[in-house]
Amino acid sequence: MTGPGEESPVTSDFVRSYVITGGRSLPSSDELALHTLVTLAPGRTLPLGAGPEVRAIWELCSGGYLSVAEVAGHLGLPVGVARLLLTDLSEQGHLLRRAEPPRAQNVDRATLEKVLNGLQSLIG
Amino acid sequence: MTSLIKDPLLWILLVVLAAAVLAVLRARRTNLALRRTRKDLEARLGQTQGRIGQLEAHIDTLDTRHRGELADVRADAESATKAVLKSAMGTLQSLAEEQQLLLDQLLKKYGNDSEVLADLMSVDHTGSQFGRRAKGISVLCGGWLGRREGAATVYDVTRSAQGRIKDFNRVSIHAQASVAVVGKAVEPVAVVLAELLDNATTYSAPGTPVEVNIQAVPTGVCFIVDDAGLGMDQETKDRAAALLSADGPVDITGLGDPPRFGFAVCGMLANRYGFHVSVGSVSPYGGVRAVIRVPESLLSADVVAPAEPEQQEPVEAGQEDAPQRLAPVPVGPSRVVGTTSGGLPKRRRRQGPIAVVPSPPDPAALEEETSESSGEVTASRLGAFARGTQLGRTTNTTEGPDHQ
Repeated sequence: MTGPGEESPVTSDFVRSYVITGGRSLPSSDELALHTLVTLAPGRTLPLGAGPEVRAIWELCSGGYLSVAEVAGHLGLPVGVARLLLTDLSEQGHLLRRAEPPRAQNVDRATLEKVLNGLQSLIG
Repeated sequence: MTSLIKDPLLWILLVVLAAAVLAVLRARRTNLALRRTRKDLEARLGQTQGRIGQLEAHIDTLDTRHRGELADVRADAESATKAVLKSAMGTLQSLAEEQQLLLDQLLKKYGNDSEVLADLMSVDHTGSQFGRRAKGISVLCGGWLGRREGAATVYDVTRSAQGRIKDFNRVSIHAQASVAVVGKAVEPVAVVLAELLDNATTYSAPGTPVEVNIQAVPTGVCFIVDDAGLGMDQETKDRAAALLSADGPVDITGLGDPPRFGFAVCGMLANRYGFHVSVGSVSPYGGVRAVIRVPESLLSADVVAPAEPEQQEPVEAGQEDAPQRLAPVPVGPSRVVGTTSGGLPKRRRRQGPIAVVPSPPDPAALEEETSESSGEVTASRLGAFARGTQLGRTTNTTEGPDHQ
């Protein structure tokens, strides 16, 4: 028999993600996009029986707005799993969310040139 | 006298006498011969009996030698089988571990796509069950489980065990204790608990619940597994008790076909790491109650704060960077303060930036910021704003392809 010293280290995630979701189906990514910002609604108390992940989310989001992607990153969980937990909290009214800021529109070259000309005429 | 001679009676008498004498003589001779034969026979019987005794003794010695040799051969075969199985299972174990590491990455990589994620999770689930089987067989063959760095809370140990069985979603966990299991005992306790949960879910009706209660006792912590099955008959109980209390190597060929490794694995691991497993009692639901009692020497309190149970996973405990969080900003969902003459909603200018990302190595700045007392705060906030917008730009460019 080999000694305990020969035990190789095990580094895979100890609690598998399907256990965290409880085998439930995952919300689609339209529900809470990666850039959607979430924060804890004021005056809320942690639900009874909250698991370690929900506690961690609670702690993370109590400080202000964080994006869904950031929450998942801090928890070390796949985004879909974090999204499910956030959706739960959001449905229970614990979370406030704010849609991602609209993406900047591409402005056509002519407009940019007009602006440049305008600025040059102002400064120059 | 002549009359006498002529008397036939006399002749008859004489003849009879002679015949009698002859008969007696012959009888005596026969008697003597018979006696001799008997003596002869008795002597030979004695010899034969002696030889039989010798032979019996010889047979006995041969028998014991044979039995001893047979036991030796069996032990040799068993240990040879175990050695082969151990190394084969070792390979499978490391492959299973490799697969799980790969899946950890893939789950994060494709985490945003819920369909892919769900598929990957089912692959992960079968992989975990496969890994548990390989570990069980490996343990019985004298192999090791692999060691986790750092303690894990009893709740996480239970969830990890839950993930290694088929019907994991029938298991509910009620943790009344908030201690952690030390690193070296994390895998063994999880594997044993998984075996017990597997038994509980396999030998009870599909829809019925299986409950794990975790309770602190004066000598440590108990994981109590209750199912609502039919319970075990006396024979199974005896077999389980024998396997659970075995303190030597287990005969893997005697575990039946298909082999039932569960209790043997539990007994082996409990004995090796010094915790206790029992399955004799009846659950409140009428099924089996199995209990793992982990002694205090295998527990630690360092992962969890006393009042706050199960705060973080051990994995995260290692990466305790200050989270880059956004500072609180006084913005509500609606900032409408009135309407313009045209009827459009009038909004107040935003007071502060949405995203304030403090620099990671300076967590103190965050606290100062929330108190909002000095000019430094404003400076830091402006800097943070700059960093935030920078971050926003880079994020947009790197994640651009997602939206195409």
